[in-house]
Amino acid sequence: MAETIEALERRIDQLRTAVREAALAGDRALASAHRAGLRRAEQAWEDALTAAVAPARETTARETTARETTAPETPRGPAEPTGSLLPLREKVYEALSLLQVAAAPKLIATVHEAFFGATFPTSRVTSLKRDEERSFRAAPFARPYYICAALSADYLAPSRGLLAVSTWPLERRVIGSLSPRVDFLTAAIRVAEAIERIPEPPHAARRLLLRFAASIPGASLPGDSAHPAAVSAAAAAELAVHRDADDRVRAEAAARLRLLPPPEQLFGTMSFREIARDTAGRAGE
Amino acid sequence: MSPGPRPPVQARLDQLRGRALPVNHNARTISALAANPGCARRALMDAAGVDKQQVAGHAGFPAPFGQSQFAIARGNAFEAQVKEGGAAQLLTLLREHLGLDVGQAHYHDLNDVGGSESAQVRHHRTRNLLTSASADPSTGTMFDHPLLRLAVGGRHAYLEPDLIALHHRGRFHVVEIKSFAIIDGQADPAKVAAAAIQSAVYVHALRELLGGDPDRVHHETVLVAPRDFSSQPAAATVDVRKQLTVLHRQLERIASVESLLDLYPAGLTFDLDPDPGGRPRRPPGELAAAIGQVSASYAPECLSACELCFLCRDEAAGTTGALGKSVREDLGGVERTGQVLGLARGTLPPSPEREEIAAQLTRGARLRAELLGTGLPGTEFLETGV
Repeated sequence: MAETIEALERRIDQLRTAVREAALAGDRALASAHRAGLRRAEQAWEDALTAAVAPARETTARETTARETTAPETPRGPAEPTGSLLPLREKVYEALSLLQVAAAPKLIATVHEAFFGATFPTSRVTSLKRDEERSFRAAPFARPYYICAALSADYLAPSRGLLAVSTWPLERRVIGSLSPRVDFLTAAIRVAEAIERIPEPPHAARRLLLRFAASIPGASLPGDSAHPAAVSAAAAAELAVHRDADDRVRAEAAARLRLLPPPEQLFGTMSFREIARDTAGRAGE
Repeated sequence: MSPGPRPPVQARLDQLRGRALPVNHNARTISALAANPGCARRALMDAAGVDKQQVAGHAGFPAPFGQSQFAIARGNAFEAQVKEGGAAQLLTLLREHLGLDVGQAHYHDLNDVGGSESAQVRHHRTRNLLTSASADPSTGTMFDHPLLRLAVGGRHAYLEPDLIALHHRGRFHVVEIKSFAIIDGQADPAKVAAAAIQSAVYVHALRELLGGDPDRVHHETVLVAPRDFSSQPAAATVDVRKQLTVLHRQLERIASVESLLDLYPAGLTFDLDPDPGGRPRRPPGELAAAIGQVSASYAPECLSACELCFLCRDEAAGTTGALGKSVREDLGGVERTGQVLGLARGTLPPSPEREEIAAQLTRGARLRAELLGTGLPGTEFLETGV
């Protein structure tokens, strides 16, 4: 670490003053030079912060991706304040890595709150996907992972409101008619497993498990309580009924998806979205 | 698709509507139609596609119509909640109420088709999915926001049920999600009635889509609403056979609007005579007189279903119908409240056909006087009533 975070903060303040003075004096060249310096200092501050946060976490995001998400990330205790300092895309990534299935922003936010102790407004997640797509189109595969769309198996177009991670196998990112149920049951199992790993699961996590249990036959215990092992077992039992049929649809759709260029593999077929935009444009006229 | 009215009829309907563009029907307007089948005014205006909101406003009785923003937000939040995670909560309820197989957990989202929200595309997709699922129930269970279509008075109305569920024995059920509470197994009867008639419209449209076979779509629909004071959903089955009958009759009436038109003068129009900027120029009094030529059947329920409600209520002041359908039925044959009071006090000699009701009224008035220790209903009621 070249400079301490405190020193960087002082330097950012100084540079801001310098930019203001230069701008007010009308010296554009000097102002833009100071602005560039300010941006560098701010980037250095972000990096320093990430570096300071990293030792507290088991792995960095980059290493997790390298492991190719074979095992879900071990959740940390609920009270760690560091979670709230992560950028939104990393929070979404953390929650999705725990679930291992495509999920809607609301579930992602609930899971993050339950296991990583920080929540975020779901409205921001919508713009996140757009930013990710823009970033991918500007410099493909420059980032270790992208938050991308889950795609409907029939049209390979973005499935309404569902997010996924670009490093997942294609089969997991396409959604057939049974997939919402399969993903719901899989998510229930992941949440149950994550709770079992924590010695004292936070209240929000137990409440989440209870909500899953209420919608799975045979998962809830008398008196509106839920045990992780019972939820896992009940979910697995129903999953066994759907698995084969769902796998067939997903494998077939993934085979079609593989034929598309990379941006469309991640963010959905262009043709349909263009039609949609056209129609929306005409309706707005 | 039923054919629209024949050209001369259409010409007369166009004349009734005047220069305004026709207003298309939706589930709410169609169910409002069936909720008050005796209203010729509404039947005629709806058949002609008259913009009732504008007409009522110009005639001097604007109605603050439409659902409250808060009600819409609450309804949407509740619907989103039960449809979360592949409609997990709904599936649990449907498994209980319809006895679905465990394997039946398919979820088709018809809110858009590959990102396109065009009504035609969505309707096409709905048609394809529902007909193929009807032939093979193992391919679909829950259809989220399908887009149905119904021909009303020669024009298409698009209808969007909250959800359609398919039982493994091949019968569809319409599912309606509402945000009013079911408390101790009871819900507001007026709201349930409104939901039932709306569901009946969907059942009818769905039967049309599947080729008119009534066996393919169950007459029992499923109402899903919050249980007690929680946000947990509860489900109840609602039999809509009665509503379907009313709806059929009403739709036929629109299709055979000719006989209704014959009752009114050929020059009748609800045209607003708009200037080039779209501002109405027709004298409000003249418009009100035109509306007055067509008889209405006002009931307090109209206040939540019809844009003309304030106008009709004003017109109905002093009639027994303005006090509610049950009052009108109890006082069968007596039109005005003034006459009712006259009969009760014995100041109005009853005609032979009113003798029975007059006897009941005098007895009721005497009982009331004995209980309250006052005289018979005073003239103050009579003055306001006539």
